[in-house]
Amino acid sequence: MQIKQKAQAGTMQSSDLMVFLEPAETLRIEIDSTVKKQFEHLIRQQVEAVLKKAEVTSGHIRINDRGALDYAIIARMEAGLKRACE
Amino acid sequence: MVVELISSRDRTRAEELIKLSGLRFEKNYETLAGVFANGDLVATAARERNILKMFAVRDDFQGGSILGELVTELVRSGYNAGHQSFFVFTPPRNVPSFQSLNFTPLINHHMVSLLEYGNGLANYLDKHRHLVHKGTNGAVVVNCNPFTLGHLYLIEEAAKRVDHLYIFVVREDRSIFPFDTRYKLVTEGVQHLRNVSVLDSSEYAVSGVTFPSYFLKTDDDAQTLQIELDLILFAKHIAPAFNICKRFIGTEPYCRTTRLYSEAMHHVLAPFGLETIQLQRKQHDDGVISAFRVREALRREAFETVRRLVPTTTFDYLRSREARGIMDNLRTHQRRH
Repeated sequence: MQIKQKAQAGTMQSSDLMVFLEPAETLRIEIDSTVKKQFEHLIRQQVEAVLKKAEVTSGHIRINDRGALDYAIIARMEAGLKRACE
Repeated sequence: MVVELISSRDRTRAEELIKLSGLRFEKNYETLAGVFANGDLVATAARERNILKMFAVRDDFQGGSILGELVTELVRSGYNAGHQSFFVFTPPRNVPSFQSLNFTPLINHHMVSLLEYGNGLANYLDKHRHLVHKGTNGAVVVNCNPFTLGHLYLIEEAAKRVDHLYIFVVREDRSIFPFDTRYKLVTEGVQHLRNVSVLDSSEYAVSGVTFPSYFLKTDDDAQTLQIELDLILFAKHIAPAFNICKRFIGTEPYCRTTRLYSEAMHHVLAPFGLETIQLQRKQHDDGVISAFRVREALRREAFETVRRLVPTTTFDYLRSREARGIMDNLRTHQRRH
């Protein structure tokens, strides 16, 4: 899949995250989180796994997380991708 | 659930809730969102461009998830409208609530705090990293509506006094000459100087972030506060990133706002170790050179007068086909800027 348009998914509630996706030449992942110090690398892992599975290789992805668990990250990423790739 | 408040009845309810929370209702907004419980409006907030404001939550609903829901909705609508990062101005006691929503504090003033959602400032600084010079650097912030010999003189004099001079051109488009044109004329006009860089002021250097005054009492001086916030933002975040330790301004004979700004500069910047240097304006036969005089002359189509007030680069532009639309606007519109 390819990110073709701006899209967004998720909320700012506790234990959730907001995902913003935009088309870009390269792949750039920006992560902001209330638990960034402890878990940034794990959040990034999940985001990258979803992108890899969907074969997305470029785009600007911004994550704004409030302590979401893995399944929430995966779900929000998948939803965001579907909207961005439509 | 958060809904957009559209009907005039809902808007009136929002207005009442806002006033009940001790805030002032401002009519300028693009989106007004609200939360209902049992048919009553219990929370509301609004967005104007990339500024979130007028947060009011009824006492018995505070401390829950409502703030997050409101911010989600406003950020969603703002993102769809093309904004990347968002600002919130709030009384200092509310800072922790917004911080837990991933807002980053930019300024803590005793009366108001400014927080940002998204990495706008970090991205701005990152984008200009290649322009960072070591040494004792200076800055001028200019609108240049349009670029005159007065501006050029200020810039040349300032550039002599520092290792490198940063010229921030005000991004906000409230002037008759649009940003792109002002930026272009400055860049062309200073090409002969080796130690200067021209930058887009963005929303951070001289903030286009119009400061909402909804939580101030009527007797608080909103304008002074706005100026102070703006200068603190510059001193705290922009100046250190570019090694700026001197800020230059010209003496200001005409415009009251600009004069207020110059006066505030000394006492706000000094505690941050920034020196304010006021330079005498360049004199012309009959008074100082100002962009205001240039615009007046353009209105009268007195091109010989204009020629004596602006560099050739600006003059050539003003006589070009490209400038025709702006010249027509100048003639038909009477305004201060």
